[in-house]
Amino acid sequence: MSRALHAEWTKLRTLPSTGWLLAALAAVTVLVGAAVTGAVDTSHCATPAGCAEDTPRLALSGVRIAQVAAVALGALAVGGEYAAGTIGATLTAVPRRVTVLAAKAAVVSGAVAASGTAGVLGAVAAGRLILPRNGFTPEHGYPLLSPADGATARAAFGTVLYLVLTALLALGAGAALRDSAAAITAVLALLWIVPVLASLVADDTWQRRLDRFAPMTAGLAVQSTRSLERLPIGPWAGLGVLAAYAVAALLAGGARFAARDA
Amino acid sequence: MEATIEVRGLRKRFGPRLAVDGLSFTAAPGLVTGFVGPNGAGKSTTMRMILGLDRPDEGAALVGGRPYRSLRTPLCHLGAMLDASAVHPARRARDHLRWLAHANGIPARRVGEVIELAGLGSVANRPAGGFSLGMRQRLGIAAALLGDPPALMFDEPVNGLDPEGVAWIRGLLRSLAAQGRAVLVSSHLMSELEGGADHLVVIGRGRVIADTGVAELLAAASGGRTELRTPDRQRAMTALAREGAEVAAAERDAVTVSGLPAERIIEVLTAARVPFTGIAEHRATLEEAYMELTRDAVEFRAGTGGEAL
Amino acid sequence: MTAPYRSTVLADARDGFGRLLAAEWTKLATVPRWRLALAASVLLTVAVAVLTAAGSQTTGGGGPPARLRPLSDQGRITYQMLPGDGALTARVTAQGGGGGWAKAGLIIRADLRPGTPYAAIAVTPGHGVRLLSGYRDGGPGGAPGTPPAWLRLTRAGTTVTGYASPDGRTWRRVGAVELDAPGPAAAGLFVAAPDRVEVQRQFGGESISGTPADTRASFDNVTLTAAGGAPVTGPWRDRGGAGGPAAPDPGGTTRTGGTVTLAGSGDIGPDAFADDVTRTTLTGALVGQAAIVALAVLFVTAEYRRATIRLTLAASPRRGRVLAAKATVVGLAVLAAGLAAAFGSLLAARPVLRAHGTEPPPLTDPAVLRAAVGTAVLMAVVAVLGVATATILRRGAPAITLVLLVLLVPQIVATGLPVAAARWLQRLTPAAGFAVQHTVRRYDTPIGAFAGLGVLCLYTAAALAAAAWLLRRRDA
Repeated sequence: MSRALHAEWTKLRTLPSTGWLLAALAAVTVLVGAAVTGAVDTSHCATPAGCAEDTPRLALSGVRIAQVAAVALGALAVGGEYAAGTIGATLTAVPRRVTVLAAKAAVVSGAVAASGTAGVLGAVAAGRLILPRNGFTPEHGYPLLSPADGATARAAFGTVLYLVLTALLALGAGAALRDSAAAITAVLALLWIVPVLASLVADDTWQRRLDRFAPMTAGLAVQSTRSLERLPIGPWAGLGVLAAYAVAALLAGGARFAARDA
Repeated sequence: MEATIEVRGLRKRFGPRLAVDGLSFTAAPGLVTGFVGPNGAGKSTTMRMILGLDRPDEGAALVGGRPYRSLRTPLCHLGAMLDASAVHPARRARDHLRWLAHANGIPARRVGEVIELAGLGSVANRPAGGFSLGMRQRLGIAAALLGDPPALMFDEPVNGLDPEGVAWIRGLLRSLAAQGRAVLVSSHLMSELEGGADHLVVIGRGRVIADTGVAELLAAASGGRTELRTPDRQRAMTALAREGAEVAAAERDAVTVSGLPAERIIEVLTAARVPFTGIAEHRATLEEAYMELTRDAVEFRAGTGGEAL
Repeated sequence: MTAPYRSTVLADARDGFGRLLAAEWTKLATVPRWRLALAASVLLTVAVAVLTAAGSQTTGGGGPPARLRPLSDQGRITYQMLPGDGALTARVTAQGGGGGWAKAGLIIRADLRPGTPYAAIAVTPGHGVRLLSGYRDGGPGGAPGTPPAWLRLTRAGTTVTGYASPDGRTWRRVGAVELDAPGPAAAGLFVAAPDRVEVQRQFGGESISGTPADTRASFDNVTLTAAGGAPVTGPWRDRGGAGGPAAPDPGGTTRTGGTVTLAGSGDIGPDAFADDVTRTTLTGALVGQAAIVALAVLFVTAEYRRATIRLTLAASPRRGRVLAAKATVVGLAVLAAGLAAAFGSLLAARPVLRAHGTEPPPLTDPAVLRAAVGTAVLMAVVAVLGVATATILRRGAPAITLVLLVLLVPQIVATGLPVAAARWLQRLTPAAGFAVQHTVRRYDTPIGAFAGLGVLCLYTAAALAAAAWLLRRRDA
């Protein structure tokens, strides 16, 4: 296993796209987070405290777009090998396919976790700087963002896990579909379209149902730090829903990967 | 309309690398012109420039006297097979030919004709993804013949084929040339063109090393040498050397003689009463001729390397 | 030496854009999974339509069936009955509260049931003097006219004409509307104001509510005359909130001397919070579009991946035309699939909507037709955007990601921003194209239907131009 890990790490590291994607993941998390926190202020509320703005969640909102990089990285890990035709060489070197898939999953998880941590910490720091200027000050009930704060720490850590899980979901889809383009389409459609649909459905019951079982809305519940009782699903339970999707995709991908000829 | 492929002073640079460096040659009608050079010599780049796919930095490529990109129905002027695997794997062979035919308004009956011509009748309705390399080559050739063009161009058509496939393609190329078409065939192995080509354009590092008929090339490589078999090698060598021939010992009972025509050798040996069991003109293989050329090319490269830098 | 060969097909061969279209169509039609992608986009769209229709369960529960043209008919009206032709004149002396579309003026309507046709002329703080009808904002007028301002409505047959004057002597005609209300009609003064939009935002979910905005206005010099100039006599009556004529409300209308002051809330105009059933039914296009984007992108990138682009360009060296043919073929195929998807959605959702107590959108209504055809056009334009992006990037995965990114992310991010910022995002990004699905102007409608589609078309045209330039310039 350690050799397979080493081999996968070398493969991942030596692809130029990996570096770009990981850099984009961190950068987009910080920049979009900063843009969104910069765009929102307390002026539209009766009193600044009345906004009841979930500031940690606002600062971490960049992952909604940055997850594209995690998805691409996951999908390319397997799908890219089919496109380049190197899958044959990979399986000749390590014939145990489950080991190959596990090694890929481990390496991608590690890379996404590292870059995601950098991005999340950067976004929290940006939020700490920007939010007080827009009226979200400690006096109004919005404590300065700090990764040491319990709820913020949970939101930040959960966001990193969220990114890792979306990458694994894409990796599973890539192994199942054996094509990175198809895997990216499928995963992005699953992540993005369901929330848009949910916002258009008029019925509250259905909206909550969709929110509870859509991987993105459920998974990002972990970012919430306020009025948790109003969430369609609890923070960790929501992340669990996303994890279930990722496990299902990995199992499907693993089964197809193990069963089919390279 | 002339059935020629003509290349004039083509030059193409990819970044720092000069892939084609002032190439000029002509593939004439009625001949199979071999386009030979080691991998990376610029053969495929030249062919892409002939097809207007790559834009030359300098020079021009003409098909029947006109730039390819000015042709309105180009498939009827030049048929080409660059890459036999250039087929969508999910598309049936017949459909692959149909869209190509549509693109140039070629009548639909022609699709059936080229399928028969290429011997694809039994597999034409199967997706091309399942084809063997040999069948893909046949499909590529069928596509090249779709417009019944007077000029044809094939990039490494026999690469990776079994002997039967090689023989089929060789025969096909000969018969196409015999109809009066110009046929340009590239290869990185001279032996693949043995018995297949009439004319050779040998390139190395993007430049023409030789542009010559196969017969002339072989004659030059053979160099007027004669193989002589004799049980008395020592006396034969002495007698011939006295007459001014260059004599080299070959195998145990054979010598190679150069500088004397065969009739003169027989006269000399008969006069000196040296017995001999066989005499034959030495025939170089194309491979030997190529090696000889490449040896020159190595010196030539060494000479120009400094210039280029 | 043999004589040079002559092609036997050359005489029959033709070039032309039609041939190119045939070639590209053959390519598209002969790869089974692309046909499947087209079918899948239709099925997904229709399936989502049925699901959302089934999810509309409680909206219709008990209440009146959703109206096709949702409207708001509230505000306060104080009126007399006008038996036939006549004229109504008053001076608006002051107006306060209610925002830019607060209305204070004169109204003539057949009766006071909600949704009855009316003609009105009103002073608005933000939009000048307007002649209003049909529960739409806008209408003729717009010249600034701040109180005090004289207003007049005259009724002659079915035509009601509005006039405005700064001094009660020189009158300017604002416009005329047809009011199909024979016999006696209610004529009087009214105030109305649209609800204030209140947004409670949580990223990814927000609750939006309209709170009634109070508005008040004072009138004097009120005269109502019948044809011939005889004053109409009769009791002034009041209408308060929704519903029919209400008992006089001392808080709502006060008369002191010749001055009448009206106070009220609610609008006589469009319903800014209406459910757009047509749009909801057509949301499946969002899902179907993912399949369309994949198809359009792969139709191009498969050529690069398999190197068939060289065959394509060798057969048709005029590259701009090749791109045009590809875009046309994909666009038309998707247009056909989109029409099937849009009308399929509306038809399949009908019984489900009806079963849940919602009146399904009638296909004969021009706005519904526009939304359905517009959805098909939207999908076709998205497909062309996919073709152009794929030609620029030449690789499938990044092209699909990019196209989905520009179409979906603005819609997701918009939910997390203040309404004003979100609207700009949905105006300026390609996602604006989805506006063509709206049949109702709501408080959050970012851009007009055709303007939105136009924005998407501009992006697509720019992408196509870049793609054509690159395709011509690059080595294949």
